[in-house]
Amino acid sequence: MAVRATVDIDLEKVDRLIEEEEAKLEPKHRASLEYRKTAERHVAGGVASSWQDSPPHAIFIDRGERNRLWDLDGNEYVDYHLGYGAMVVGHAHPKIVEAIEKQARLGTHFAQPTKDLDVIGENLAERFRLPLWRFCNSGTEATLEAGRLMRANTGRDVLIKIEGSYHGHHDSLMFSVVPDPAKIGPREHPVTLPQAMGIPQAFADLVRVVPFNDLAEARRAFEENEGRVAGMIVEPAMMNCGVIMPQPGYLQGLKDLCHEFGAYLAFDEVKTGATIAYGGAVEVFGVVPDIVCLAKAIGGGTPCGAMGATEELYRPVLAGEHDIAGTFNGNPLTMAASRAALLEVLTPEAYEGFGAVDAKLKEGLSAVIEEHRLGAYVTGVGAKGSVIYSTTEVKEYRDSVGVDERITYLAWLFQQNRGVFKSPWTKQETWTLSVWHTESDAERYIDNFAGFAAAITG
Amino acid sequence: MAEIDRWRVEELTGQQVERLTEKLPRSIAYAKTASRALAGGVSCAWHALDPATIYGVRGEGSHLWDLDGNDYVDLHCGYGVMVCGHANPKVVEAVRERVALGTHFAMPVEDAVVVAELLAERFGLPLWRFKNSGSEATMDACRVMRAATGRELVIKVEGSYHGSSDGLAFSYWVDVGQAGSRERPVAVPNTTGVPEVFGQALRIVPFNDLSAVERVLADEGDRVAGMILEPILMNCGVILPDPGYLAGLRDLLHRHGALLTFDEVKTGVTIAPGGATEWSGVTPDLVALAKAIGGGLPIGAVGGTEEAMRVLVDGTMEQEGTFNGNPLSMAAARAVLTDVLTPDAYRRLGELEPVLAGGVRGVIDRYGLPARVASVGCRGSVHFRAEPVRDFRDHVQVDAELAHLSWLFQLNRGVFQPAGDPWTFSVMHSEDDLRRSVEAFEAFATAVTG
Repeated sequence: MAVRATVDIDLEKVDRLIEEEEAKLEPKHRASLEYRKTAERHVAGGVASSWQDSPPHAIFIDRGERNRLWDLDGNEYVDYHLGYGAMVVGHAHPKIVEAIEKQARLGTHFAQPTKDLDVIGENLAERFRLPLWRFCNSGTEATLEAGRLMRANTGRDVLIKIEGSYHGHHDSLMFSVVPDPAKIGPREHPVTLPQAMGIPQAFADLVRVVPFNDLAEARRAFEENEGRVAGMIVEPAMMNCGVIMPQPGYLQGLKDLCHEFGAYLAFDEVKTGATIAYGGAVEVFGVVPDIVCLAKAIGGGTPCGAMGATEELYRPVLAGEHDIAGTFNGNPLTMAASRAALLEVLTPEAYEGFGAVDAKLKEGLSAVIEEHRLGAYVTGVGAKGSVIYSTTEVKEYRDSVGVDERITYLAWLFQQNRGVFKSPWTKQETWTLSVWHTESDAERYIDNFAGFAAAITG
Repeated sequence: MAEIDRWRVEELTGQQVERLTEKLPRSIAYAKTASRALAGGVSCAWHALDPATIYGVRGEGSHLWDLDGNDYVDLHCGYGVMVCGHANPKVVEAVRERVALGTHFAMPVEDAVVVAELLAERFGLPLWRFKNSGSEATMDACRVMRAATGRELVIKVEGSYHGSSDGLAFSYWVDVGQAGSRERPVAVPNTTGVPEVFGQALRIVPFNDLSAVERVLADEGDRVAGMILEPILMNCGVILPDPGYLAGLRDLLHRHGALLTFDEVKTGVTIAPGGATEWSGVTPDLVALAKAIGGGLPIGAVGGTEEAMRVLVDGTMEQEGTFNGNPLSMAAARAVLTDVLTPDAYRRLGELEPVLAGGVRGVIDRYGLPARVASVGCRGSVHFRAEPVRDFRDHVQVDAELAHLSWLFQLNRGVFQPAGDPWTFSVMHSEDDLRRSVEAFEAFATAVTG
């Protein structure tokens, strides 16, 4: 990354602009705001998940089609949120619609295996270079089973995870996701902080947290817990603080390190799998871990999850010593949608399409950053991209801590007011592309971003 | 009471296994193909059946067809999920409509609000959140109990299954030899790979034993966040709560500032519109739902009182999930709760109960089998034991060989039941469907006593 002169951002001005943009947004969301009152009567907080309610207010959605989304007020958006990155197939893709309609007529749930399973298993095996698969219903369930499989195979209890990574909300990994900088402790011994209330401290003691992109710190964790570490779980490219790419050699180094200490390496590819490339991070970075966890995009918009692993890791399952169970696992409706998504929509050609739109976005956004001398840079791969608000390369969670969230919030408001729907919450801007996104969609994003850049630097 | 000849049971089992195997050549062959990329050829441990895994092809109403074209009356109903019947036209229509409008936004949609209203009315609990499975629902319910009380211990019933989360994957189907005394059972993990630490946050009690809960609360009541239980135990066959047990639990827990969660993943909207909550007249602080409410789509839900759910409303406890409240599951749930599981439907399920439960009970009486029927609405089971079954330790004493043989008889006569779990029939089952099961049971009774 070249070092450039950048302008200082006047945060008072940002505050003023936020006020203006919020005032502009409010009248567009009258129906959502009104409906929220109805929703709150019986839905706790008015939303089905805490992350569906982001500032300035929850937006209720009516429908989606391909790359477009309409809210209750009838506002139309180009959708770069895509249900937290799940809808790379686009909304209501005709192939998925057909698959779901067909399966609905044949029955959607038997709690017995059906014939789509092996086709999907083989497709995933090809993509992620891991031979054996099992299915579940969410990314949370996938990482839960992955952690358990590593523990079962080693007879050890401790899991190592990366600070600032999210691996679902179960009791074994719901730690240090967006930890409070005041409480995170020293970098060489980050404190394992529960991300939600209601998780006993004793559960936290089973998890050692380390910074991303630092093999020496990972080694320290293994050495300090010798004989206790079952495995390490990592998002191969971090997706929770913008997109943070692994340094060259980092992932292979982790794999070697895990194996050196008799432990396993799991890739949480819930966000990267089948989005950043045909074979996800395994393909992009050329490292095959012991386990891959998938969800989101592979279901084509139905609740899904999957765990792929080596024969060694699945041995106790095949031997009947270790149970992986769930009533809806391998549910025929999800499998039918998944089969269509993987075999008919997310073909190798689809990833070439992402490449073209991604290149256009990166080029346009970088030019805007250059022109306005913003302290930011663009990163990403395939269907996932990000504007990182930092003048130096962000390599781990702590590098993002200083970023003022008001800036990304303002960027979000600018897009939202101008017909672009983006995922909220993060300190860094992220987007997801679907197979329907075009270069003209990219232009709308770039134009809005240029307006935002001009406003905060002008 | 008829004497059961063990040699006869073994001989009959051999015959039935042979007969079944002959009916499943394609499933047996396909298991090898499936095993190439799918660990064990199945996506859930319980899908693997003895002597052979049966691969499903399609379902319609009360019937199910496997890969070999065998037609079954489905009393398995996907572990009690399909009370609406397979491919119920109302659900098909709801799915068809929703899929064209988009199935997933990770943003709130109207159907979620409507489903919450319908559940609030049925269960008498005002506030709801959605999940993707029963495992996720019970996990969140426990977290809410802990967050709301600031305490860590959760009381759990031995033999009860509450999904696969680490916090609850204990003492479901365990070796009694390792599980401590009946009065003071210890937490035993259900599978490998679950650290003991999670079990240390649990206290295990027998079902139908108020004094055991009283003892835990007397010893360490100020550390107990709450108790989770199936109000009617449904994975040791069906075991009903003793009169006063559920109300007694609620009083005891509340006296100690702890909360009560009903795991109604199996009972909710199946045995009554408002599940065991309505059936028992005891409203807990929290209810976990899944299975039947989604009409065959992955779903879960947690409902609670305003007091218990405050931590979610004020945002002090994050509760999340990308697919939570996803529009497709919500559309199906809305159709199920509004158009399928209507008051008339429950009346009909009630009318059918004596056909199956009564029919099987009649056979048991006529043949003097050492067995008892426990049934509530569309769910029921046969306990192969002469004495009543009141908890898990009673249940492990059932005659497992006899149960397996009975299951084989059902399969070979075109009735698909879950091995060991309760039967379920749907609103689309006919009296003839249920009589088929009673006749298969009679054939079994004739054979073992003959």
